[in-house]
Amino acid sequence: MYFHLALRNLSRARIRSILAVIGIIIGVTAITSIGIFGDNLKRTVIENLGDIANELIIIPNASAGYTKIDEKVVETIKRSPFPGEVIPLKAGVYEIGSKETKMRVTVYGLDEKGVSTLFTVEKGSLSLKSGRCIVGSKIASRLDLRVGSRVTINGKIYRVSGILKDEGRRFDIRVNNAFIIPIKEHPANITNVIVKLRNIDDIEGFKDYIKKTVNVKREKVDIIEMKSILERIDKVFDQINMFLMAIAGISLLVAGVSILNIMLMSTIERTKEIGIMRAIGAQKPDILKIFLTEAGILGVSGSVVGAVLSIVGGYFITKLIIGQVSGIFSTASVLFAVEGFAFGVGTAIISGLYPAWRASNLEPIEALRYE
Amino acid sequence: MKNVIFDNVSKIYRTKYYEVVALKDINLEIERGEFIAIMGPSGSGKSTMLNLIGCLDKPTEGEIYIKGTPISGLRDNELTELRRDTIGFVFQQYNLIPTLSAVENIELPMIFKKVEPDKRRERIEKLLEIIGLEDVADRKPVEMSGGQQQRVAIARAMANNPEILLCDEPTGNLDSKAGEQIMEILTKLKEEGVTVVLVTHDESLKKYAERVVRLRDGRIVDVFPFSS
Repeated sequence: MYFHLALRNLSRARIRSILAVIGIIIGVTAITSIGIFGDNLKRTVIENLGDIANELIIIPNASAGYTKIDEKVVETIKRSPFPGEVIPLKAGVYEIGSKETKMRVTVYGLDEKGVSTLFTVEKGSLSLKSGRCIVGSKIASRLDLRVGSRVTINGKIYRVSGILKDEGRRFDIRVNNAFIIPIKEHPANITNVIVKLRNIDDIEGFKDYIKKTVNVKREKVDIIEMKSILERIDKVFDQINMFLMAIAGISLLVAGVSILNIMLMSTIERTKEIGIMRAIGAQKPDILKIFLTEAGILGVSGSVVGAVLSIVGGYFITKLIIGQVSGIFSTASVLFAVEGFAFGVGTAIISGLYPAWRASNLEPIEALRYE
Repeated sequence: MKNVIFDNVSKIYRTKYYEVVALKDINLEIERGEFIAIMGPSGSGKSTMLNLIGCLDKPTEGEIYIKGTPISGLRDNELTELRRDTIGFVFQQYNLIPTLSAVENIELPMIFKKVEPDKRRERIEKLLEIIGLEDVADRKPVEMSGGQQQRVAIARAMANNPEILLCDEPTGNLDSKAGEQIMEILTKLKEEGVTVVLVTHDESLKKYAERVVRLRDGRIVDVFPFSS
């Protein structure tokens, strides 16, 4: 009965009610579709980075005075029971020369298997036989190097066997401006060991293995997990998303204010009716219920439409900005829709609280006299 | 048994700038099943008296007993409960809820009292029979004549079977024929044991009353016939 009463009261001022519902629809759609878009954006980025999530980088523990990783340690790492690639890496800055240019650049030492695991080639091949080198894309164009060009690196002559694709995905090796030479010809010590586990769930086990074999007496090496870096990125995206949703939430706030406004008007217009109901036996909570039901109906209807629209809206925004949509009906999207719905209904109810409280606290005798 | 007792009741409205004595030293006892008319010119305190009996207002001085319960100490919810269960209101303006049909208007006090739906329907049928309006049951107030609206209002007032029916100029907005119908219904209810308190300044209505109380400037100036 309260529901019917509330519904009829709303239909008395139909346009006003519709406008309030539209406000809620806009608010819910804004926060939800932005939420869905942000989630899709994050997933696209993480997917691009996803192929390094199973990587660990082992570096010497500088705080304990270690500056290199022993061959013995590399051997120990290679003997780990977890399947995957173990890629030792040397790095140093050396003078290189090509034609008339001379400059100091980063030179990495890798074995052939390491190069083919980590990189893809743009031109030429990934061959790293003795006397061959591979060049990053930017420095190659800067020095006008091609496959077969000759460069001196640290006084030795190398022939370019391949030029790498522009790589933006790695954190550990900035290869666009670097040279890669065979690890055996690199004069430096091993500075990193990249471990690419076949199974991402082995990360903890592998870390444990290092602890029990390499870091037994002293902490010789540190382990950087790509996974934890990815988790950080994930978190940052979540925060950005939250911020965007909060901005969109302002529109919901405005919708809430408009509900507050129409409900207040409604309580004033219906003062006499409230008085009548109080006179024939309505308790304060009864009046409160009627008005809150009205706010609830506005909130629920607006939020349902908003939630549905935002799944569509989220799809289009995502398609427009990212270009690809990964699973619009994913759990996350639905979760955002549910969240948007809850926020919409919550806003309406909170906005209805004050008018409803005011209506229920009218003095019956004063209300009856109101014309 | 006394339904209503005014024990030295005064009602004074005070504002910042002036005070109005609406009722002064009223002593009155209303028997159960009595039809009493309260008459007097406007501003004489009739409506104030009605509001006090109706538990919409509390006396400034003295005490009012409704079915033996002193009302000045009651809280809002207790007053509302008393009003809901013991008192029915009939207003000059009918005051039906415009969004509800006749039946729904009659049902409303029972909903507030949380009466079971089956019992509500039963009661509604009986009330429609009393007021003789079965055919307009589903109409909204705007689709009914004034007389019909007032009859629905009486049915609504009687929904929870109150002992006291308060009528504030119930025929004031009606033509004489419709007014007569209303008065007949009130008389019928009185015969069934309902205490009817009628406030009016229409002298032609006093024939329906067993007792007439005349007010002037907040005081009872005449009671006819005098009760023992």
